[in-house]
Amino acid sequence: MTPAPPVERLERIWAPRPGVLGWLTTTDHKRIGLLYFWATLVFFGAGGVEALLIRTQLAQPHNHVLGPNAYDQVFTMHGLTMIFWFIIPMTTGAFGNYLIPLMIGARDLAFPRLNALSFWVFAASGVFLYTGLFLGFGPNAGWFDYVPLASRLYDPGRNIEFYTLGLIFNSIASTLTAANFIVSIFKCRAPGMSFNRIPLFCFAFLAASFGLLFALPALSADLVYLFLDRNVGTHFFDPAHGGATLLWQHLFWFFGHPEVYILIVPAFGIATEIIPAFTQRKMIAFPLVAIAELLVVFIGFGVWAHHMFATGIPTVTLVFFAGASAMVVIPSTIQVFAWSTTIFTGLPRFKTPLLFIVGFILFFVAGGLTGIMFIAIPFDQQMTDTYFVVAHFHYIIFGAAVFPIFGGMYYWFPKVTGRMYFERAGQVSFWIIFAGTNLLFFPMHIVGLLGMPRRVYTYPSGLGWTIYNVLETIGGFVTAAGILLLFGNLVVSYFRGPRAEPDPWHGPTLEWSVPSPPPEYNFAVVPTVSSAYPNWDAADRELDRQRLAAGAGVLDEGPEQVVSSFVDGETQEVVRMPHDSPWPILVALCLSAMFAVLAVEKYTVAAFLGGLLVLTLVGWHAKEPEEA
Amino acid sequence: MLVPAALVLAGCGSSQDVLAPHSRSARGIASLWWDMLIGSALGLGLVALILGAAWVRRNEPGVPGVRDGDRAALGVVLVLGLAVPIVVLSALFLFANIFLIRDTTLPTASAAASDRPALTIRVVGHRFWWEVRYPGTAAVTANEIHIPVRTPVQVLVATQDVIHSFWVPELNRKIDMIPGQVNRVLLYADAPGRYRGQCAEFCGLQHAQMGFYVFADPLPRFRAWLARQAAPAARTSGSALFVSHCASCHTIRGVSARSDVGPDLTHVGSRTTLAALTIPNTHAALVQWLRDPQRVKPGSAMPVLDLTDAEVSRLAGYLESLR
Amino acid sequence: MSAYGIGAAARGGRERPLGWWGAAMLVATEATLLAVMTATYFYLRFKNVAWPPRGVPVPTLVVPLLVLGLLLAATTPVCLGVRAGRARRRAATCGWLIVALVLQAAYLALQLHQYAHDLRRFAPSGSAYGSIYYTLLGAADAHVAVGLLLTLWLLAKLARGITRYRLNALEAISFYWYAVNALTVVVTLTVLSPAL
Repeated sequence: MTPAPPVERLERIWAPRPGVLGWLTTTDHKRIGLLYFWATLVFFGAGGVEALLIRTQLAQPHNHVLGPNAYDQVFTMHGLTMIFWFIIPMTTGAFGNYLIPLMIGARDLAFPRLNALSFWVFAASGVFLYTGLFLGFGPNAGWFDYVPLASRLYDPGRNIEFYTLGLIFNSIASTLTAANFIVSIFKCRAPGMSFNRIPLFCFAFLAASFGLLFALPALSADLVYLFLDRNVGTHFFDPAHGGATLLWQHLFWFFGHPEVYILIVPAFGIATEIIPAFTQRKMIAFPLVAIAELLVVFIGFGVWAHHMFATGIPTVTLVFFAGASAMVVIPSTIQVFAWSTTIFTGLPRFKTPLLFIVGFILFFVAGGLTGIMFIAIPFDQQMTDTYFVVAHFHYIIFGAAVFPIFGGMYYWFPKVTGRMYFERAGQVSFWIIFAGTNLLFFPMHIVGLLGMPRRVYTYPSGLGWTIYNVLETIGGFVTAAGILLLFGNLVVSYFRGPRAEPDPWHGPTLEWSVPSPPPEYNFAVVPTVSSAYPNWDAADRELDRQRLAAGAGVLDEGPEQVVSSFVDGETQEVVRMPHDSPWPILVALCLSAMFAVLAVEKYTVAAFLGGLLVLTLVGWHAKEPEEA
Repeated sequence: MLVPAALVLAGCGSSQDVLAPHSRSARGIASLWWDMLIGSALGLGLVALILGAAWVRRNEPGVPGVRDGDRAALGVVLVLGLAVPIVVLSALFLFANIFLIRDTTLPTASAAASDRPALTIRVVGHRFWWEVRYPGTAAVTANEIHIPVRTPVQVLVATQDVIHSFWVPELNRKIDMIPGQVNRVLLYADAPGRYRGQCAEFCGLQHAQMGFYVFADPLPRFRAWLARQAAPAARTSGSALFVSHCASCHTIRGVSARSDVGPDLTHVGSRTTLAALTIPNTHAALVQWLRDPQRVKPGSAMPVLDLTDAEVSRLAGYLESLR
Repeated sequence: MSAYGIGAAARGGRERPLGWWGAAMLVATEATLLAVMTATYFYLRFKNVAWPPRGVPVPTLVVPLLVLGLLLAATTPVCLGVRAGRARRRAATCGWLIVALVLQAAYLALQLHQYAHDLRRFAPSGSAYGSIYYTLLGAADAHVAVGLLLTLWLLAKLARGITRYRLNALEAISFYWYAVNALTVVVTLTVLSPAL
């Protein structure tokens, strides 16, 4: 089949620069998604090694694999890495970037260069953080970094500078991505995709993006205060000079609890793609699920103090926050039953992606139920800061947030690579990871009830903790083996897997209507949409083919993209997209240099680099799209 | 050598088990846990049942084409996802946060006289040990708290440095020790015995080895103990070595050593453990501790002392005599 | 392209450009940052009996409010500049933006002068009051400084003629200014609150 003339023109217009330079200057959301994917996998590997080090150290009481100093850095880095450098960038950066434009029928995100900047800033922030660790200054006060433990008095090294600056740095990347997703989903939808026809996946990412946009500033403010307290001598957290220790906790958790939903909601989104595809039915209670996805994040902003029930704040306040925490359960239960009844009433085919989603539902329910227990204030006060909490949030963060990531990797593998993975090995990998995860995290409930606090580098024998810790360590290594099998499958499939059709699963959304892997311009012809499952509307897709044959609606006068109305998704104008730019990576380099010198207290140099940053931004905007 | 010592330490019926409550407060929490566990098992079972039923249908041949909405299923979502959780959550919320809070917090001023705490203890968290004071008496001790059995005790907690959390799970919930504020928690023990507690908020290098014991004694025994602890040191002869090497950090009342950086050692010989439950209070363990504290508890504030073996042995002998 | 007429124009509605939406996202997250810092101010205030602490003077009202008036006065020329821009009158657009720029720059200069004055009397390292006072005001004024840079850049662009891209930038930057003005009012009233 020879491509129609308009397609040839599109190929020419959207052709990337060749070789490495093409990757360094790319603004293609798919390439940026892949860059995010590979970068986050590196951090996942690092976080995984840290997890295994923790488990090895705790395999026996009085173990000496890690000393207390190394252990504190390793467990802090594990938490930071998995949350900020794996799950968030993997879901938003990799999955969201790659898939959102494809699902809304766009050729790219609203701000492609901002997207590239987001990636380079993210990658640099990770390098920055790990530079700290390799210099012996890994953050060491836990991922929530309570003051005054993190103050200069008790943590005199540069460890915490790598924490504060690394997280501010990282949150710049997340904010850029979040803003980009919101504007793209609001304004770059295919004609006919009114608000009620936006795929649930995109609703989920919309919710997560709003969460990031409004939660990260609280963290940033907190980090700025801490940086100033440590380096300038301010007294935000010092009660002897009018400061307040709990200020750190309030602001941290005002960010930190929405953060939990930011981690989990994209996983909901992945589930709501995989479930319809493997049951061949539309989601039950679609509008309720969409609202629930948004509501979970919204209510999540009002529950932060439930992380502080043991700090001695007044009971009235506790009861208020416990009430809000109870309310946040409702949108989750609605979704749980929407997913499970959809699977039950559909025609379930338990291929690997759906298996991971079933695992996800079970983990989410189990972890959610232990979460509900914490609305009982006295129980919370009894169990907080024990391994019971560690069990609870790993059921949620690993079981419920990472399982859909794994499922999603299998599900979209054919789309991204053009090859099929090996189904049998995929299913085996699921069962190993599922068993390993339960073996790893279930005993933590028990050992928590037996009184084992979290964040201990060692523990005495004779308190009944040893056997459970042994089981957990075994579970850790089983899980690691299953994950290696998963990636082994994907790597071998990438080279040896059978060729994939454009739509091997009969998937519901628009990414399955384009070739695998998708071309640079995504859609040869702007697709029309008349439901939330546009790929199942055969008549619409037939119309696309006819339009392409007639050369109508191709938008081939340059790198063009439609901008649509906010509510109805009606096309309003056609805009030119920036295409391939060296500026994002240059801006990211300036920013990295600035953070590096801030970490060593060279403020004048930092100011100079700030000036350089402004100049690169001017360069970025020197050429206007119309001139391109 | 330390491992068997620790085994001995932990061996004698010691635990910090949430599910082995020894007070009304802890019992209330434990029984709530069992109720919530049953409820959770039902919830998880229900979802597993739905998914299991789907699994049974995994090979069922289906009509080609995509299925659409389903009113009955929507009803299930609304009932199980909305109505049932509202009822269950309200019940749990009301029960736990109205009734149970009453059992786990200190009685208010308006409570019946018999419920009001008969004794107040001050506990100050240090990296990485616990300072214990009995207001109204001269008694100061460390890491081992004695309380009268079947008596409500008010514990006022504060910190000298970073945030710690005071937690004896078999007696009650935990309470954080926060700079700039004094928090309160109720301690009550049904039966005489030894209850293990531990710091629950990450506080630095030796957070893992910041334990303590609560000893609940019958009232006369408690009174006798308190009187002994309030008295000055039993022996002052032989304290020269202590004064020259230890007095810049430690206090021994009755001897010219009055610094509160480290624990008060006036009656250190009467304690069962050393270094916040890190080692048992035996001669061998004490000698090892004095010789190289950073090996026993790396990161603790106790420095390596410049002492010969003979001096260490003599110093240990003196400390052991302070009963 | 023929299949997709520009709907908004056909209906006579004015559709916000993507750049405006981008600015809205920036404003949303920055407004949250300043709101958090304002909340910090009051949180610390309620944790302290003496606010400002002993030895630190209560802020004066008149001068800071007059200085703030300068910034707010710049709202009108920004607004007029946007109108002129929409009418594609380049000289008027630039003229109004320059008027705004002068007022905004004067505001920032007087603020810096005020900082120098305050620093002689109390330092950010003196107490939590000083810490949040300078951090909060500094954060708000940093947004003014960024706005000045944006306006300068826009003027440089407009000097070479009006394009759709530059008009979009004008919409985005003017929106940014409206938001920064509103936020600066909140922040200024917050730090002046002990005198109110």
